[in-house]
Amino acid sequence: MSGTSTPTSGVTAAPSVRKEGAPPRGGTGGGRRRRDFTTRRGLVVAAFMAPAAVFVALFTYYPMIAGSQMAFRNWNLTDLTDTSWVGFKNFREVFTDPAWGTVLGNTALWVVGSIVPQLVIGFALALWLRRRFRLRGLYQALIFFPWAISGFLIGILFRWMFNSEFGVVNDLLQKAGLIDEPVAWLADPDTAMIAVLVANVWYGVTFFAIMILAALQSIPDELYEAAALDGAGKARTLFRITIPYIRVTLVLTVLLRVIWIFNFPDLIFGMTGGGPNDETHIVTTWMIKITQQGDYGKASALGLLVVAVLLVFATFFLTATRERGGGRRGAGRGGKRGVRA
Amino acid sequence: MRRRTAALALGTAAAMVLTGCSTMSPGESGTVTLNMVESLTNPARTDLLEELIADFEEKNPKVKVNLVSPPTEQADQKLQQMLQSGSGVDVLEVRDITVGPWSNNGWLYDMKKDLAGWKGWDALTDNAVAASEDDKGRTYFVPYGFYGLSLFHRTDLIKEAGFDKPPATWEELLEQASKIHDPSSRRYGYAFRGGANAHSNATAAIEAYVADRIDPANGYLLKDGKTIFSAPEALDAMEMYLKLFKQASPKSSVAWGYPEMVEGFSNGSTAFLLQDPEVIATVSESKSLDANQWSTAPLMAGPSGKTVQPLATAGWGVAEGSKHKAEAVKLVQFLSEGEASTRFTKGNSLVPILKAAAEDDFYRSGPWASYVTMTENPDTYLVVTQPRGVAWWTEWQQRADTDVQKMILGKLTPKELLAGWDAYWTEKWKK
Repeated sequence: MSGTSTPTSGVTAAPSVRKEGAPPRGGTGGGRRRRDFTTRRGLVVAAFMAPAAVFVALFTYYPMIAGSQMAFRNWNLTDLTDTSWVGFKNFREVFTDPAWGTVLGNTALWVVGSIVPQLVIGFALALWLRRRFRLRGLYQALIFFPWAISGFLIGILFRWMFNSEFGVVNDLLQKAGLIDEPVAWLADPDTAMIAVLVANVWYGVTFFAIMILAALQSIPDELYEAAALDGAGKARTLFRITIPYIRVTLVLTVLLRVIWIFNFPDLIFGMTGGGPNDETHIVTTWMIKITQQGDYGKASALGLLVVAVLLVFATFFLTATRERGGGRRGAGRGGKRGVRA
Repeated sequence: MRRRTAALALGTAAAMVLTGCSTMSPGESGTVTLNMVESLTNPARTDLLEELIADFEEKNPKVKVNLVSPPTEQADQKLQQMLQSGSGVDVLEVRDITVGPWSNNGWLYDMKKDLAGWKGWDALTDNAVAASEDDKGRTYFVPYGFYGLSLFHRTDLIKEAGFDKPPATWEELLEQASKIHDPSSRRYGYAFRGGANAHSNATAAIEAYVADRIDPANGYLLKDGKTIFSAPEALDAMEMYLKLFKQASPKSSVAWGYPEMVEGFSNGSTAFLLQDPEVIATVSESKSLDANQWSTAPLMAGPSGKTVQPLATAGWGVAEGSKHKAEAVKLVQFLSEGEASTRFTKGNSLVPILKAAAEDDFYRSGPWASYVTMTENPDTYLVVTQPRGVAWWTEWQQRADTDVQKMILGKLTPKELLAGWDAYWTEKWKK
């Protein structure tokens, strides 16, 4: 990477960009000088870490392992007199359940249908919030507020907003002349899915906006100045400087959000309870339903499947994005191309 | 310096571990501490329970009660986990839908012997005495009250539609609600239950239609041993029920659960609502309805002129794992008699467990009168034991709720729905 290849005055800005502006690996700040640990210092660190380690082991890993073994046993709370090992029976029951196909399809729709609009709108918001304008701080706080509310509560709020007879959504749409009679949003499986997606997009936009805005603020202004001097337009600047520069943040945020959205039953549960006719269930709401029936064996099997799917996804996603030159190298190359343009 | 830091860190860690342990150890002053866990939690009810507990502690200075109030949605699951661990619970709220699986797993204590000489039995209504014993005569809980259905209705809208009294049968309800229903002016006939617990009102209709032939010991069976879902009258009931949805209910009620139903009635848009007595308090506070615009009527009858009261109940029980069973039983007794019981049922709008309540003005007047009417006429309003204690009840509820939704969405006919339910229960009882 070098700014020296640029034929214009952008040259002057480039060296300082390399030193100060390169995005940190993983977006977490520059590397720290490694210190030599003495045995005594090691002990101190271990002692400070011990309570947290014990708690995590006791309250996270132990229940996880204890829960996993239920997946291979006949573990039904309605009758715990027989909890014998049943091999893969619970998994077979999951795969042969008539609801499984719908649940899988819904999960895919839930993840993709949520993440794409969240990313696009979140990105747009972040770009807009980066500019200085009056009351920007207040506006930022307002936009980030939804992230502080519990998903279940948002589900209940949206359940009322999408209520056909008493909800504000139909009222507004009717007043705007967009619909003639109230739409029974949550009474029809197709519109119910749209309603939960709308709620989730509203909720998750915030997180993208926060993360992307933080990353945007790390891009040095000199790069944009250089690009402007080189005559790059807005679109070119966006695709050649901004996006490559914050690629690491984008990749990690998308990865995190896919995992979170996959594991986010709260909103659907509060809004539709998986209905009507069980047609808005995703894997995790379905797992809650099975748990409520007392069949912890089958629910644990489903839980293990979720973990497996997410592990495969995370590995694949990280590998794929690394091979395509994500992170520092990509940003550097992008920066160069942007300036060269 | 470093040594001091290390010592400090180790000390902190040790202190944290020890603090964690100390909360788990029992009291040593000779005072017994009972852990009491409630299930159908709400803030007002918790406050009332705490007052009652304070009275109990005053009368029993050697007993302290620690009330645990998990949020309702997770309470039964939390209780299950506590019971499974075998400690931490002494007195607990047991519901008719949890008593089956929990006693089956050996988590509940049979209080039969402890309560043999209890003077409180004489003051209880027949319903309460019957509900406190399971089919094998064991007492796993003493009910604190009952939840029973009555018909909340708009007296003014009924009159405007040209009727002189609220419906006494399901057919009359269909007729009146259909006439009042006018979605274009945002007026709806019936607050249909299509969401959570949809099956409960559907089965109430079926039971009313087969009331003549129902087995009093099992609300899902006919006297001839077949399920109520196999009866031809059940098909009449479900066809009527489907019409009630199509002709008289808001479209979105496919997804209506308790909050939407109650809101629909109390905001003045819906004329009829089938609900528990606890809703009386909510509707009384409505700003859209005056007291003279609404009332309650007894549950509607089927073609035979009779109906079945689908009473649901819950009460206080003792955990098998409790180390202080004698004191725990004492607390159950205290909550199930006299002043404490009356305050609890009134404060929570429950059908009372004490005979004396029928003489109380509170229950003889206004919206409560229909419940007294039902209790005093057991030949018309039959008291039938519902199979809510079976281990598969939750599974059934979820399946049946989905089926009701399928039926009203047109994906299942009433005939198919009933055939499925008949097969389900026949199969379950065969095992």
